[in-house]
Amino acid sequence: MSLIRTLSSRSPWLYRINAGSCNGCDVELATTACIPRYDVERLGCQYCGSPRHADIVLITGPLTARVKDKVLRLFAEIPEPKVTVAVGICPISGGIFRESYAVCGPIDHYLPVDVNVPGCPPRPQAILEGVAKAIEIWKSRL
Amino acid sequence: MGFLRVLIRNLLAGPSTDPFPFGETFTPKALRGRVVYDASRCTSCRACEQVCIGGAIRFDNTPEGRRFLLWHNTCTFCGLCAFYCPQDAITMTTDWHLSHAQEDKFKMVEHGLIPAAKCVACGADYVAVAPTAKAFAGYAPSAEEVESLRQCCPRCRRKQAAEIAAAKTKGLPS
Amino acid sequence: MPESLALLLSVAIFPGGVFALGLGLGLKGIDRRVAARLQRRVGPPLLQPFFDLIKLSRKQTTVPDTSCRPLFLALPPVGAASMLLAAALVPIPGIYAPDPMLGDMLVLFYLLVVPGMVLMLAGSASGSPFGAIGFSREMMLMLAYETPIVLVLVTAGIRAGGGDGAITLSLTEIMHHQQTHGAFLFDPVMWPALLAFAAFLPANLGTIPFDTPEAETEVLDGPLLEYSGAALGLFKAMSALKAVVVLNLGVCLFFPTAPANPSALLVHLVKLLPMAAGVTVLRVSMGRMRVDQAFRFFFKWPLALAAASVTAAILSR
Repeated sequence: MSLIRTLSSRSPWLYRINAGSCNGCDVELATTACIPRYDVERLGCQYCGSPRHADIVLITGPLTARVKDKVLRLFAEIPEPKVTVAVGICPISGGIFRESYAVCGPIDHYLPVDVNVPGCPPRPQAILEGVAKAIEIWKSRL
Repeated sequence: MGFLRVLIRNLLAGPSTDPFPFGETFTPKALRGRVVYDASRCTSCRACEQVCIGGAIRFDNTPEGRRFLLWHNTCTFCGLCAFYCPQDAITMTTDWHLSHAQEDKFKMVEHGLIPAAKCVACGADYVAVAPTAKAFAGYAPSAEEVESLRQCCPRCRRKQAAEIAAAKTKGLPS
Repeated sequence: MPESLALLLSVAIFPGGVFALGLGLGLKGIDRRVAARLQRRVGPPLLQPFFDLIKLSRKQTTVPDTSCRPLFLALPPVGAASMLLAAALVPIPGIYAPDPMLGDMLVLFYLLVVPGMVLMLAGSASGSPFGAIGFSREMMLMLAYETPIVLVLVTAGIRAGGGDGAITLSLTEIMHHQQTHGAFLFDPVMWPALLAFAAFLPANLGTIPFDTPEAETEVLDGPLLEYSGAALGLFKAMSALKAVVVLNLGVCLFFPTAPANPSALLVHLVKLLPMAAGVTVLRVSMGRMRVDQAFRFFFKWPLALAAASVTAAILSR
């Protein structure tokens, strides 16, 4: 069983959710995945288009009021086992939009978060470090 | 057929991938990373707290003194606090290895304490002044005068500074 | 060895089943790695598709509420089973000739249509609008590329048929004809058919420039949107097996000469590499065609080339 678990942990698929982000962190996520300089496929990761194929969920953005229900619904559609990574300071604490009337607060009030990557936006290498930590946590949940 | 030329050149040139996380990666010299606070240089002017756009800096008055708190999970790493600090008490290092598990979310802080002191003149509690403070510059006090001013509370300090200044300007025409 | 046991082994172990799945996933791993190197990236490890499949077997299979549940869950095994059977139908020169009881070229063509049908039905069974878009796109693309391949198969059958104009429907006979009379790769009558087959290959394998039904950035994986876990793993296995079947078919139709000793397997694997490399280079250097552009393309050039080949084959027999 542990061999199967080790082999399965070498193929985590990433899925991005933009919960009202300014897109800065999303640009860095695109950088991490698509640019030859910070190739994320070395870790076996692959960006998937469908939430049902996701293993590691990367959430950016403070949870704005407009998008809250949709993000919660989307998150429920992602099959277990999954690991959530909050990328940027907005999902961790609300970031610079903390006291806004349109922001529903840190994401961990609504969803279970496993890894935080602070930064505004974080460096691609910092995001890769966070993803590597998330893979470790995911391996223990398989 | 230009694309074939590009493909062959790519094959021959090899991967241009940064080796992280399997190897070392470069860190720019002026990268704005983790914030470090030096309480011995701080005069608690609170300019950093005012200018912080993420609201990450907080000063609290406690019996032990004035406590400084910076929470990295709301810090945007903009560097305004370091820019505006007149004492260079807040500086930014190049440490970007800040990703952490959810349990450590509230442990990503930078603490500092400016100790409380008792005034030598009136015995009141006040927040100690930083040894490197560039204050008191207007009327050029000597080192012992600066030291005695530093050990007073703000009210006594004003009185004593006025006395020193009066003594220095005694010989000037009125 | 009793015949039924030999049939079962040929479907389950070699050349179908385990061998074909391993070969298909290995080719896919090589494809991903080479594509990455062509883009100056490092790329995933060569065994990555195996890890993907193992991981998918450990994930939960979710079934959406708006889907037709029996159809939704029955489609992946049907698709994978059809390709398992098809892999046992294509002869490997020098090593394996399929038992005539399994079927001939017609059965193979029918089985090659099944994965496309399964994807289409999966798109509509999932009950999501993206699935419906994937369904219509897959249907248009299949209509486009099935006609040239039929003509190519017919051309090969006529060319390898007996002297009095009979058409042979047995891939084994086509293979033997080429082993005695020279490969079709060097036959000028078959060159337009070769080009038509080269156009059919990326469309059937679902790679750029013809991967519109499964376009990730446009329709969020189209028909496969709602699939997860073991069902998705079966779909991935189906596409890997289909790649092996179609590449083996290409070798059998155009270049099946092989030495008579056991190194024929190695020679066959080496012959697969140029086709796989061509598909990878095409995938890396082009953009995706819109579905109407792909449709019009297939009804222009590959159809014309395949028709030219058929006419030439009929006229010169």
